[in-house]
Amino acid sequence: MRSKSILLSLLAILVTASLILTSACGTSVKGTGEQILRVNLAGEPAQVDPNRASWASERSVIMQVFVGLLGFNQDLSLRADVAKVIPTVANKGISADGLTYTFKLRTNVTWSDGTKVTAKDFVYSIKRMLNPDLAAEYASFYFDIVGGLAYFSAPDKTDAEKTTLKNAIGVKAIDEYTLEIKLNDPLPTFLDLMALWPVYPVREDIITQFGDAWTNPPNYIGNGPYILTEWVHQDHMTFKPNPNYWGTKPKLAEIDFKMITDANAALAAYMNNELDISGVPVGTEKATMADATLSPQILRYNDLTTFAFQFNVTKPPFDNKLVRQALSCAIDRQTLIDIRGGVGKVALSWIPPGMPGYDATLGSEYAFNVTKAKELLAQAGYNDVSKLPEIKFSYSDTAGNRTIAQFLQGQMQQNLGINITLDPQESKSFQEYINAGKHMWAWFGWGADYPDPDNWLPQLFGTGAGNNHTLYSNPTFDALAAKGLKELDNPTRLKDWADAQKMVMDDAPIVTMFYRERFLLVKPWVKGLTTTGMDGQVAGDMFYTEVYMTK
Amino acid sequence: MTRYAIRRILWLLVVLLVVSFITFSLMHLVPGGPWDREKQLAPQVIEALNRKYGLDKPFFVQYGNFLLGLLHGDLGISYSYQDRGVTQILMQGLPITATLGITAFIIAILIGISLGMAAALKQNSWIDYLSVLFSTIFASIPGFVLAIILMVVFSVILHWLPTGGWGSVSQIIMPAFALAALPAAFIARITRASTLEVMHQDYVRTARSKGLLERVVLIRHILRNSLIPVVTIAGPEFANLVTGSVIVETIFSIPGIGRLFVQGIFARDYGLIMGSVLFYAFVIAIANLVVDILYGMIDPRIRYD
Amino acid sequence: MAIVTNTTTGPERPHHTLWGDAWVRLRRNKLAMAGGIFIIILALAAIFAPLITPYDFAHQDYTAILQNPNAKHWLGTDGLGRDVFARLLYGARTSLAVGIFTQLIVICIGLPIGAIAGYSGGKVDNALMRFVDVMYGFPDLLLVILLKAVLGSGIYQLFLAIGLVAWVNISRLVRGQIMSLKSRDFVSAARAMGGMGRYITWRHLLPNALGPIIVSITFNIPRAIFTEAALSYIGIGVRPPTPSWGAMIHDGYDVIFASWYQVFFPAIAIALVMMAFTFLGDGLRDALDPKLRH
Repeated sequence: MRSKSILLSLLAILVTASLILTSACGTSVKGTGEQILRVNLAGEPAQVDPNRASWASERSVIMQVFVGLLGFNQDLSLRADVAKVIPTVANKGISADGLTYTFKLRTNVTWSDGTKVTAKDFVYSIKRMLNPDLAAEYASFYFDIVGGLAYFSAPDKTDAEKTTLKNAIGVKAIDEYTLEIKLNDPLPTFLDLMALWPVYPVREDIITQFGDAWTNPPNYIGNGPYILTEWVHQDHMTFKPNPNYWGTKPKLAEIDFKMITDANAALAAYMNNELDISGVPVGTEKATMADATLSPQILRYNDLTTFAFQFNVTKPPFDNKLVRQALSCAIDRQTLIDIRGGVGKVALSWIPPGMPGYDATLGSEYAFNVTKAKELLAQAGYNDVSKLPEIKFSYSDTAGNRTIAQFLQGQMQQNLGINITLDPQESKSFQEYINAGKHMWAWFGWGADYPDPDNWLPQLFGTGAGNNHTLYSNPTFDALAAKGLKELDNPTRLKDWADAQKMVMDDAPIVTMFYRERFLLVKPWVKGLTTTGMDGQVAGDMFYTEVYMTK
Repeated sequence: MTRYAIRRILWLLVVLLVVSFITFSLMHLVPGGPWDREKQLAPQVIEALNRKYGLDKPFFVQYGNFLLGLLHGDLGISYSYQDRGVTQILMQGLPITATLGITAFIIAILIGISLGMAAALKQNSWIDYLSVLFSTIFASIPGFVLAIILMVVFSVILHWLPTGGWGSVSQIIMPAFALAALPAAFIARITRASTLEVMHQDYVRTARSKGLLERVVLIRHILRNSLIPVVTIAGPEFANLVTGSVIVETIFSIPGIGRLFVQGIFARDYGLIMGSVLFYAFVIAIANLVVDILYGMIDPRIRYD
Repeated sequence: MAIVTNTTTGPERPHHTLWGDAWVRLRRNKLAMAGGIFIIILALAAIFAPLITPYDFAHQDYTAILQNPNAKHWLGTDGLGRDVFARLLYGARTSLAVGIFTQLIVICIGLPIGAIAGYSGGKVDNALMRFVDVMYGFPDLLLVILLKAVLGSGIYQLFLAIGLVAWVNISRLVRGQIMSLKSRDFVSAARAMGGMGRYITWRHLLPNALGPIIVSITFNIPRAIFTEAALSYIGIGVRPPTPSWGAMIHDGYDVIFASWYQVFFPAIAIALVMMAFTFLGDGLRDALDPKLRH
């Protein structure tokens, strides 16, 4: 009995000591001494089938094991990977009408089991991705391929009919190293789409043989720099260099993806030298910057993601443009950034910096100005704000969002005297609520799928578009978007999108708040990390071939 | 006794069936489905997914299919981990959650009963106060806070234990203690209360006055009788431990069922939810059955009719 | 609490009732009284919070974010520059209400069901316990989440959701106690003397079973407060900016590496309430123990 009590008192003392020492704790400066990179995937990926993948963590895995026809450079310009060159009209890779794309493949590309990667592998992959029975989540991106939509929309047809539809898809192997793809309409961003993971090559023989189990090692055969050697579900994944890799050999001997979901636990693991790269919990950025040991290890870079408050423009008072503009002026965005530890950049317009189409001059009329906000409200007929209908703000209840919602409530109350009701919802309920258009005002963010403005406007602001939750509808915008989506002349096209973005900002269906910035800790012995604005779950996941460790 | 046990086990099947039906209905009533995403999927994609996973069928057909699968030991497909069946996923997490739960349970019972007995036997002594203090502290710190405190002390500061994961003894120590803290405190309090009560019973006084050895009185009369309420609470506490491993598993990155279950709810992964609820219901029912049988062994006055 | 305030019977009254005796003994127990007084003071502080702190629990001061305790803000400020002391005081309203009302629901449902099942035995017991089995079959968290989703948002729905799930434990505990007491000598004696069933349950069984029940309830109050915290985390707790201790702990957990005060103060508050209820509960248990009665 007694010894147990003593043990417990000791524990209590340690606990107390820990509370005192938490702020002072540091880390030693020793790595594993080996070429092993340990990063946090923050959770088990849903699956790692390139054709079906859609989440940031799945993508981080696929990037190590597969290489597509095209890829992105660090500045997000296109790069030819399995393709010999990037198709252009000049090199006859793209037909003059913009409807036929011809990819010439490198002849030295191999799978990790040593067999050659050929055009047939791509044909199989693209047709599989469009198979309605596979139900690939990114399939809709490729509906412009001839026969794509028809095949994907035919789940109820017989197998024979499906085969006919599948054979009618405009993707074929001209010869072993030439791939031809035909489109219904000109699609200026088609090459960007061809650099994304859903059209990376996959192996027909392996998938036929193993079915859904093909993604388990050692069946998971790719053509990328690493191979997945171990996958302990919910725990970790291990990658080793692909001995048959045809490109530059990776410098690392091993990559470990851990699956730590709790942000505090991940930081603790980093401090205990179990991780080489980690994020920090939202709200602790300032303390991290003040910490003598950790501050030199901070890595910050911009992400192609914008966060905003979206109005439902069909619900009063938000059907009135003046009210929307007024509220946009009444929010002190810089303060929100400060609350969030100075991480992120004030967003006055929609398309983030680093994206083609970013316009630094746009949105200056929404700079924080309470007097102007009150004037606009008066013009809208709300001299007395108590006459406004009850305003409800909905959000998916996570720690970060809770702070943002309460900040908005405080801003409305302290700057304009408007009391708004907060409506926190569980994430899936919230998404259904938004999709059904039941909300009045809500929080949302948008991240780039590929670096082009056409990924940022029609899907969100086009009349009836899938992700249009402001229910914004502007025929002029729709006409411009329809034109821009098919415009092959690049300067004209970018001008169209610039005009379209300006239109949206004028009408103010959204209050852009900030551009996301990633805030990470990287151990000093990690070298050659290359980050981009389109990284997946783990930082620098597109360039792990260049990473190495110093002792 | 045997007949009683058999009847209880048959009843267990009925309970599981009712639980599965209620869960299935409630799951479909709760707003939001598995394909409601931040970036909305194209309508054709949602249609294809519903079809692929049988969600386009009427409610009762879906439930019927679930039961049919269950008969074959197949709990269906997980929407969140699409390449593995729910049965496969649960089977992988089961031994982990069970090991963690049982370890924590043993710790909780050992600490709880010894603290509680010590406190009661030495009522109003420093042992008593310390016991109350510890049980209060452990009951007042939410599991996730205790977990992170342990992690900071033993991993970040002392570098003695790894922060998480599964596979070695060093990885089970912190989560098991974090999980055991609250039930240990609760068991200590209940033990103290019931021991105090038993100590004032006539038969204890009689036993003492008969001149029995103090140790004999302690074990045969006090311990045995004071454990009745503890046993009552031990069953539910064990179930709480197994179901309560949710937060601890998340923080210590343990690939058990608790973590899956919560993810399942958030993702509206109906298959995963049904599977884990049935698993939990089974554990709870078994724990209760064991408690009821133990009752009879400890307290012979209780008969099963 | 209801038990204490109901008992105005003085010690000098010749007819010693159960509750009267209990009150006398409770008053002699200093720790229990201290616990009770602390709870009353806390309740008063929560009700009269505006008189105690000049700060509004929702006012955001962006010049004072995540401050450590200082002369202006006794317990520091949170991530939105709100005064933590003010939030703790106002949060006591929510948390005490959650703790007490859920346990009221628990007692109202669990006590009668457990008592009836335990005393009646046989078919009644069987039927009730099978119902309890089904209720028990659900993991608590799932049922609370589902109930909350069905009941809708709001604080009363929160009480209901937690209470409707938590009563099962008590009913089993009560049943176990009654079953074991039922066969004891004093009950057999009462029965032999021709006592009616209900009278026996009320006069002899329940008071004898109260000890562990009270201990369990005093223990469940902070547990309910924790459940509320877990629900806040999932997104179906109290609506912000209304503070609750559970939600404060959860918010604090997110920044525990930056400012441990954010978790520390609400945790201390819960610990104190927990301790107060424990001492009070222990005192009540001792006071109600019939075997100590003269």
